[in-house]
Amino acid sequence: MMSTAGTARIRFTTLWRREVNRFTKIKKQTIGAPLLETFLYISVFGAALGSRVGDLHGFDYVVFVIPGLIMMAFSINSFTNNASSILQQKFQGAIQDQLSSPASPLELLLAFSLGGFMRGLVISVLTFVAASLLVDLPVEHLLVLIPGICLVGFFFSQLGVLTGVRAEQFDDVSFMQTFVLQPLIFLGGVFYSASLLPEPFQTLTHFNPVYYMINLVRYGFLGYTEASIALSMLALFAATAAIFAVNLRLFSTGYKLRA
Amino acid sequence: MSNEFAPDGSVPLADDKALDIEDLAKRYPTGVEALRGVSLEVGSGEFFGLLGPNGAGKSTLIHCATGLAQPTGGSIRVFGHDAIDDYAEARQAVGLAPQEPNIDWFLTVEETLDFHGGYFGMPRRDRRERTAELLDTFSLTEKRTERTRTLSGGMKRRLILARAMMHRPRLLILDEPTAGVDVELRLELWHYVQRINQEGTTILLTTHYLEEAEQLCDRIAFIAGGQIVAEGSSEELAARFDVHSLEDAYLSLVGRKELSRSHIEMEPAS
Repeated sequence: MMSTAGTARIRFTTLWRREVNRFTKIKKQTIGAPLLETFLYISVFGAALGSRVGDLHGFDYVVFVIPGLIMMAFSINSFTNNASSILQQKFQGAIQDQLSSPASPLELLLAFSLGGFMRGLVISVLTFVAASLLVDLPVEHLLVLIPGICLVGFFFSQLGVLTGVRAEQFDDVSFMQTFVLQPLIFLGGVFYSASLLPEPFQTLTHFNPVYYMINLVRYGFLGYTEASIALSMLALFAATAAIFAVNLRLFSTGYKLRA
Repeated sequence: MSNEFAPDGSVPLADDKALDIEDLAKRYPTGVEALRGVSLEVGSGEFFGLLGPNGAGKSTLIHCATGLAQPTGGSIRVFGHDAIDDYAEARQAVGLAPQEPNIDWFLTVEETLDFHGGYFGMPRRDRRERTAELLDTFSLTEKRTERTRTLSGGMKRRLILARAMMHRPRLLILDEPTAGVDVELRLELWHYVQRINQEGTTILLTTHYLEEAEQLCDRIAFIAGGQIVAEGSSEELAARFDVHSLEDAYLSLVGRKELSRSHIEMEPAS
């Protein structure tokens, strides 16, 4: 007879494997397309426009942009994976197989979250490797970079779970991605330094939470930041914990999952 | 067929009740009252039928037993485990073959069974052996590497049943398992569920095929308007409605006595 912890471990790893299995089976769409997109950004903004921009705070423009692109790849893919996976399973009814299992709300939430996190991680690592082959990309503060980018990935995977649970149609996921996330990410300073913006845009950027995430990751790579690292890390941790608590509540009550 | 009710008709102990439902109520946020104080006992080892018209509350009751719906009142216990407070133990004991095919499109046939076993905490070697056994039992071995979305309707139905059996549940809930399947598969399923019932698995069956319920079930309950309106063997139900068959008892329940075959047979040919 297996221990309770043993069966819980099997349940959790199976739930998580299902999520990874899903995105690896459609890897042209889930891995290939985002990689191509990031490569195009590097080509256009780095190679084509970068030569006209010159240095930015002492870095080649392409080097300045790449940390933001890695963060963007991690966040968008973590979000999209989880939102789409949950909504698809709700449509198919396949999620009932997991919901009627003995898995706890925490096991279910963590497994769904880590599925998207893994996809974001795979694409980010591949982007980093590819970028490192093209340019000399430093890693100045690994102890900030690793927890910082992991928190960013986990935050967006939680946001994906929340969106997938609440969504009733694919339009709901597209809306969130196109009209909320992409503007926040693009206006958060992926492609530019907020300190170069004229007022009031510079001040407005400080109200964009993604601005602090980009700064964390950029500081981890380049050692350059425009915001307090400690404050950014603390705020990101608090935001991630808050959204995790909300999701756990939704999974415990069965909101839009159980009738 | 095995039935663990005491021969003297005494009430079985809590663990001898596969399902023990008391005053179960379910009101959806839309205001629809799907279940209105359902009380029902299904003994361990029984083959129990739940019959009723569409919208009577059959699927809601099943969903409450499996954690897919949350009751708004009353209690439901599976082999003595409360479906809410001890949900892990309660769900571990139940296998559900739902009415609508709800198979994961991204998985192959083999993965569908393997992942289900994992969701229920089965170790890898046990999953592998059980998967091979069920693929063979349900004639799915040749299809094992195919994606589920490419399967025919009959194959999907087989897979749903195999999946429900994967973790060796003590209570198997079959929600209209033979709807839309051909005669051959229907008979295969009958033989299979009869065999596992004889081996000790409790079966809760909902069906619109009354002859199926009549032939397979030890006891039957009629549900209508979210309430159990009658319960007993098919003979007892016929006697209760003062008719000669389960079908006529059902027609009396739904207020369509004029459709009785006995009326049609008695009418003189014109």
